[in-house]
Amino acid sequence: MDKVDLLDKFGKISANRDQLSAVGRDPTSIVIDRIISPTEAIIDGKPTILVGTNNYLGLTFDPECVAAGQSALAEAGTGTTGSRMANGSYAPHLALERELADFYDVPHAMVFSTGYAANLGTLAALVNTGDVVVMDADAHASLYDGCRMSGGSVYRFRHNDMTSLGNRLRRLAEKASRTLIVVEGLYSVLGDRAPLREIVALKREFGAHLLVDEAHSLGIYGEHGRGVCEELGVMEDVDFIVGTFSKSLGATGGFCASRHDVLPLFRYASRPYIFTASGNPSVIATTRAALRQISARPQLRQKLHDNAERLYRGLEAMGLRLGADVSPVIAVRFEQSEDAARTWERLLEAGIYTNLFVPPATPDGSSLLRCSVSAAHSEEQIDTILQRFREIIEPAKSRAAGS
Amino acid sequence: MATQEEKIEETLREILSGSVDSSVDLASSTNFVSDLGLESIQVLEFVMEVEEHFDIAIDMESLSDVLTIGQLAKVVAELVKD
Repeated sequence: MDKVDLLDKFGKISANRDQLSAVGRDPTSIVIDRIISPTEAIIDGKPTILVGTNNYLGLTFDPECVAAGQSALAEAGTGTTGSRMANGSYAPHLALERELADFYDVPHAMVFSTGYAANLGTLAALVNTGDVVVMDADAHASLYDGCRMSGGSVYRFRHNDMTSLGNRLRRLAEKASRTLIVVEGLYSVLGDRAPLREIVALKREFGAHLLVDEAHSLGIYGEHGRGVCEELGVMEDVDFIVGTFSKSLGATGGFCASRHDVLPLFRYASRPYIFTASGNPSVIATTRAALRQISARPQLRQKLHDNAERLYRGLEAMGLRLGADVSPVIAVRFEQSEDAARTWERLLEAGIYTNLFVPPATPDGSSLLRCSVSAAHSEEQIDTILQRFREIIEPAKSRAAGS
Repeated sequence: MATQEEKIEETLREILSGSVDSSVDLASSTNFVSDLGLESIQVLEFVMEVEEHFDIAIDMESLSDVLTIGQLAKVVAELVKD
């Protein structure tokens, strides 16, 4: 029998990559030559409108955030060069934790160095061998990885399907009390929201706990911008909220906020918290400034939703198949992955940058272009995006009808 | 007389036949990925149907070594017995 070499596995990866680039532009190797604003960049030497950035509130160039970052860089240096456990926290790390707790109106919050680490670190601390996680099938990879790291038993339920969740909890019987239900507020690929009121009712019925990932909904939903939990009035029933600073807050890092007094103890039990360098002073400073913007400028949320409505309705009017909910994440769905890839490439050539998703990265095996809308988009930019879609989609539709 | 595992295998084949090419012979050793060409998403969807049929819950760890119909039948048999 032929011996298997350690490096053989890369042959398959390389074949998949080559297959991807053979059909046209490789979507995984886009280079932004120069970023101009939250909504514009130079790509392939061409001015391009960005509608695939997750920069929901457009705060990456906000003057207050930039100034806060510059000032922290000058005052506190480029990096912390170590972990908070070993090398100590900087006062702004603790200030950000206090501000996050106040923002969510809960007693505790904990900051991690990335959003990925926040999910890994929260699940690894909270769930151990013998505990159970019941997770939405469309949950983000970081939640899956956190579960794997935790040692708990993991059961999936069908995406947003309450019968499936109810059946899972019922089958777990007495284990339900040591069960954590894991869902996202806004799902990042199809742009649909979790039915949190129904989920909370099941959580109560079976005596489980609930963690909600608001990575794509922080600053976007609810009166104070706390997310889908606030929008649906279930803040009191959510045990843990996790999220990231890398989308609406335009920085990097992540957090967990909770009404439970055990949260500060996670610091001693969470390897992704303990064994990593803490957030850079400039990153912590821009995050704090952006969080203040969420509270001070609710009009950003309104503008974002107006833009999302404008883009969604425009795409809908072209007869395109979209995700069910109007949200800042708008998925344009295609039957064939080749059609999605071709449309994505033509849009890019026409100066519109979207995100291409093909199986296995899509939740239901379909192919789609993901548009993420920003409060920083002007109405003219949204109309230009729609115009380019129309120019590309309509000839393709008439060709298909004629063939 | 068929053992419980064989009966379970028969049920698994019935559930699976709804979603795969009917010309493929489904045996105990049939591999979901290399023989049936199922994507991981399709395998997990199939497992959910199996869970509903038997009213059991299969955790992801138990599935990590499952590649064939026979191996899945073993996992199911353990849970049905409980």
